[in-house]
Amino acid sequence: MKQGLQPESSAPEISAAVDRRDFLRLLAGSSLLLTTTQNARAAPFKTSAHIVIAGSGLGGLALANRLRRELDGAKITILDRRPQHFYQPGYTLIGTGVWTKDKVIDPVAPLVPSGVEWLQEMVAEFDPVANSVTTDGGRKIRYDFLVVATGLHLNYAGIEGMDTAAIGREGLASVYNGPDGAEASWQAMAAFRDKGGEAIMTLPATPMKCAGAPLKTTFMLRDRLLKAGTLGKSKISFQSAQKNVFGVPRINEEVLTRWQALGIGVEFEHKLVGIDIGAHRARFVTPAGENIERPYDFIHVVPPMRAPDAVKKSELAWQDGPMAAGGWLEVDKETLQHKRFPNVFGVGDINGTPRGKTAATVKKSAPIVTANLVEVIAGRAPQQKFDGYTSCPLIVREGSALLIEFDYEGKLTPSLPMIEPLQESWFAWLMKVKLLKPAYFAVLKGHV
Amino acid sequence: MYEIWLAANILWELALTYWPLLAIYGAVLAVLLLVALRARPLPWRRRLPVALIVGVLVCVVCMLSVPGLIGAQLSDLAYWVDWANLFAVSAGFGAAAALLAWPLAAWQGRRA
Repeated sequence: MKQGLQPESSAPEISAAVDRRDFLRLLAGSSLLLTTTQNARAAPFKTSAHIVIAGSGLGGLALANRLRRELDGAKITILDRRPQHFYQPGYTLIGTGVWTKDKVIDPVAPLVPSGVEWLQEMVAEFDPVANSVTTDGGRKIRYDFLVVATGLHLNYAGIEGMDTAAIGREGLASVYNGPDGAEASWQAMAAFRDKGGEAIMTLPATPMKCAGAPLKTTFMLRDRLLKAGTLGKSKISFQSAQKNVFGVPRINEEVLTRWQALGIGVEFEHKLVGIDIGAHRARFVTPAGENIERPYDFIHVVPPMRAPDAVKKSELAWQDGPMAAGGWLEVDKETLQHKRFPNVFGVGDINGTPRGKTAATVKKSAPIVTANLVEVIAGRAPQQKFDGYTSCPLIVREGSALLIEFDYEGKLTPSLPMIEPLQESWFAWLMKVKLLKPAYFAVLKGHV
Repeated sequence: MYEIWLAANILWELALTYWPLLAIYGAVLAVLLLVALRARPLPWRRRLPVALIVGVLVCVVCMLSVPGLIGAQLSDLAYWVDWANLFAVSAGFGAAAALLAWPLAAWQGRRA
């Protein structure tokens, strides 16, 4: 169904939210702070440009909120059909029994800033030569500037025999498959925890979002088995399709050392290529082409990931190099401007950059993309550079985590210098379960 | 500076989430203050230690219970940053409790 939804008219939730905001602004006395901050900003840039944002995830909404504030007179259109916004960093908490899925689902309508058009259709085709997109509803939309924030595609079809509908049954888990998949994963994990047995945890060969999630799930599975008293009759084996379990060498070494001490086995360059869900058997292939079958009682499947078809099949995708196979967006890793189409920018998971497909990446890069896009609209060259910052509260058991932050180079970059990144802490756990979601929404609203 | 701004925004978003509780707290505090101020003179200064004791007790209870409320155990606090943050959170609750207790204690003191 086609629907042009104006957020002002769309939701009682909005007026309720405004009432809450107004009330609390008075209560907290924070209006002074907000007003001061807003006054300190430069005046909005006047333009009549039409900016299309493909995607209403964290990146798309953060850009919409920021551009609405930074530009005066621009027409901004968000394209995305989904009526619900998912707080994806919460999936590992759902999948390991810490949260319930209602904590990660919010309606999109109140998150769309006023004055921004939200068209509930998906982009089916990008035509950057003609400066237009075509939606799956058949509508052709021309733009002056484009922000690609589509997120990525979970390629479960790349695993023979995989059926996402079976997640939660037959010992099959995959926390990546949305809130429902994460919740079903916990059902599978809880059933396994009670009995114990052979567990296989997987990692694909492709770039992936939240590369810490498979590691957190592994740590948490071991913790659940320990607390249930079934660890003694269980075996956990991590099958990585890569030569490591994490791309940052120091973190990789830290995790492997911890796993060795915890009795978690690791095999490298074992790519999951097939699964027989009913028979509880997984098939892996090695670089030498050897096929290995493994039985399991519980398996955590992390699918290979790539760009959505609309990007992958378009001129926007990398045409050669390591990012071409996945069809990732060809952006400059520092300015996040498209390398061949200067009126196109990318934000979030879709970017074909060396690292960083997390909410923390968006936190740091959304203000940079906004500033650079405004520069380009003004006819100037992008000025700001992104260093690839990302972070991951790496849960090591229920109640404790490592707060790791790093950049493109894999250099650890703690925001608070007094916090040792490889020191497990309750504070990092507190952040993960209580503080990161509020921080996420502050990013989404363009406040930080 | 950015971290301070980020922390302020996190508190703001938490306030948006828990605004009914904050509203109830604010209303109760307002009523207590109104009643106490109408009944002056009250021994505010003399009864401040009582309010502080209540605050300290709540702070201690929070330090013992907050880790468990978020799925952790006290043994998970192994780093000075953990203790500093637990104390900060607990002190916040303690201060809120002391603020409520003060007008009550002052009122009690007038009757005594």
